[in-house]
Amino acid sequence: MKKTVFILILLQSLALPMIASAHHVMGRPSYSLNEDSNTPPSMQVETRIGDYFVTYMIFPAFPRPGQVGRINLYASTIDNGQPFQGTVRFSVRDDSWFQSKEEIIGDQPVDDNVFRQGFVFSKEGDYIISASFNANGQPYHIDFPLRIGQPSRVGVIGVAVTLIFVLLIGVNIAQRRRVNRAKMRQTQRP
Amino acid sequence: MMHAGMPLSWAEGLCCSMLLMAIWAILARLPVLSEASNRVENSSPLAIWITRLLSSQLLLLSLKLLMVGLFFLVIICGLYGTPLPQQNLATELTWNIWWAGLIVSVFFLGSGWCAICPWDTIASYLTRLNILGASDNSTRLNLAVPGVLRSVWPALLMLLLLSWLELGYGITADPYATALLAMLMLIITTTSHALFERKAFCRYFCPVGRTIGFYSQLAPVALRPVDPQVCSRCETLECYRGSEQVEPCPTGLLMKNLKENSYCTSCTNCVRSCPTANISWKLRPLSQEARQDARPRHDEAWFVIALLALALLHGLTMMPIWEQQLQQLSAWLGESGLLLWGFTILLATTLLLVASLYAAAIAVTMKLCRQRIGFKKLFIDMAFMLLPLAFGYHIAHNLTHLWRENSWSWLLHPFGLPTQALPSMSRVMPTMGSGEAGLFILQSGFMLFGFCMSLLILRHRAARLASHDSNRRGFSLLPLALFALLITILQLWLLTQPMMMRF
Repeated sequence: MKKTVFILILLQSLALPMIASAHHVMGRPSYSLNEDSNTPPSMQVETRIGDYFVTYMIFPAFPRPGQVGRINLYASTIDNGQPFQGTVRFSVRDDSWFQSKEEIIGDQPVDDNVFRQGFVFSKEGDYIISASFNANGQPYHIDFPLRIGQPSRVGVIGVAVTLIFVLLIGVNIAQRRRVNRAKMRQTQRP
Repeated sequence: MMHAGMPLSWAEGLCCSMLLMAIWAILARLPVLSEASNRVENSSPLAIWITRLLSSQLLLLSLKLLMVGLFFLVIICGLYGTPLPQQNLATELTWNIWWAGLIVSVFFLGSGWCAICPWDTIASYLTRLNILGASDNSTRLNLAVPGVLRSVWPALLMLLLLSWLELGYGITADPYATALLAMLMLIITTTSHALFERKAFCRYFCPVGRTIGFYSQLAPVALRPVDPQVCSRCETLECYRGSEQVEPCPTGLLMKNLKENSYCTSCTNCVRSCPTANISWKLRPLSQEARQDARPRHDEAWFVIALLALALLHGLTMMPIWEQQLQQLSAWLGESGLLLWGFTILLATTLLLVASLYAAAIAVTMKLCRQRIGFKKLFIDMAFMLLPLAFGYHIAHNLTHLWRENSWSWLLHPFGLPTQALPSMSRVMPTMGSGEAGLFILQSGFMLFGFCMSLLILRHRAARLASHDSNRRGFSLLPLALFALLITILQLWLLTQPMMMRF
């Protein structure tokens, strides 16, 4: 009996750290949902900026090149929850080296208290999406990182390690030849 | 996001004090130079405790391992973490903690950072590996450094490049680029260690090492012989040649001739290799070395001028007015995007302006001198007075970054929270309030220190040049004292201005 209880406790303790990540649809976990599903998982952010509370959603959460995505933005005042009714400008910039050019995706009017902006990226990579609006004479600006596809970053470390390895091997071979030459000179001396 | 600067009344008070100091420096008789005792007198309990702590090999090894761990963490977080700089450990730790804190550390520990530098630790380890197992001398060719590179010009070039990347390209706001830079520096260090004798990278190429090396001429600690007589009688020179267990001095310094800290990496190899245990940490008056011990050299003088100009540039680029000027210049050039050409022109202009102003002050001083001293000699010798001007402002400016820019959220989430947005107003001065007075007191203290040391160095250096005239007053130093005052007023003005945060 004691042995059984011990095994059960052991199994339970082993199972505990295995926390499964599941998307929830109507309160039920769904392990098979991905960006191809009818109800794609989204990435949602809630943040406070100045006098506003902003909710920002991106569909799907992990967009791929060529895939149509959508940004939904909802802004309301912190004081009384009044939704913002102006226009929001969405823009995008490439978050890679020497790429600072910003491209405006669109100026979106409010639609049922939500600002909706569609997007399609042709190339995978890291991007920064910006949403800007003016309220009560104050400019508001929110940046949001968005990764399209799965850009590989192992390559950079690989290149660095390879460079160092090649250098060390090269130096080692050169050093070996020097030592051998010195030994040969010594043996040739009368 | 903007931060308010130091209150104008503080700056005005400081200006008045500095003006009085400048008047004293001109009117007072030049100091009589005496040969300072080179014997190490660390007899107080605090001095003994500090020297023991700094010489501890266990502490050194632990810190080296810690720095290597953090270095790899920076690379991994930079490559795989969030691109938002204020949420990524790579940018926060590299630019807001290390780069800003490094200069502050020189004030207390001299070139102590070099002893635990991860670039050198990793490169030294890699080049000690005997990969193919056939070499007698590890993976090092030990070639002599070519004559053209045996100066601080390569380090100056690297420093300009680093400043260009930091202030022009904006690498401080890019975790990925920060990680790439870290790897690139490691590759350069390993290449230099593998090709050249000793640690040529540390001596000739490292922009960080040279910067803190020159600043450490002002520091209150240095490695020196306990009894110089013992060193002068030494013929085995373990500090220079190394011993069976300990490597030689990485930058080829001979302790019996050592008078400058510029090239000492504080590795303590000399402490361990000395058979008579005659090398120890020495506590000394601030800026003693720059006042009387350091020997002037042409390339080093230019490095110091560049340090002063770059320190000013750090402040200038964070002013709203800089952004306007840069945009106007770039629009005139027809440039868009990162505005790198515009920045490069403004960087060169700043360097040129500071050098020209200094040269003009030297030229007028030369005219006022009764003695015939060549322009070049005066230009090189007096460059030491620029060192505390750069150092004082550099620390004061960096304190703003340390005090106000760290959100510390990266400590809990080193890779950053990938779904967290960046509201431009979410970092509304979290530490503003009662702590601000502390920041201003420290900044004022360092600015006063810089100006005061600059005048002391100026008077000591002038006394050396006019050694035969013991009754000489400092009237001829008026142009250089005015130059120091002008630069300090400009620095104080920068400190009073609202400063844009890096990210």
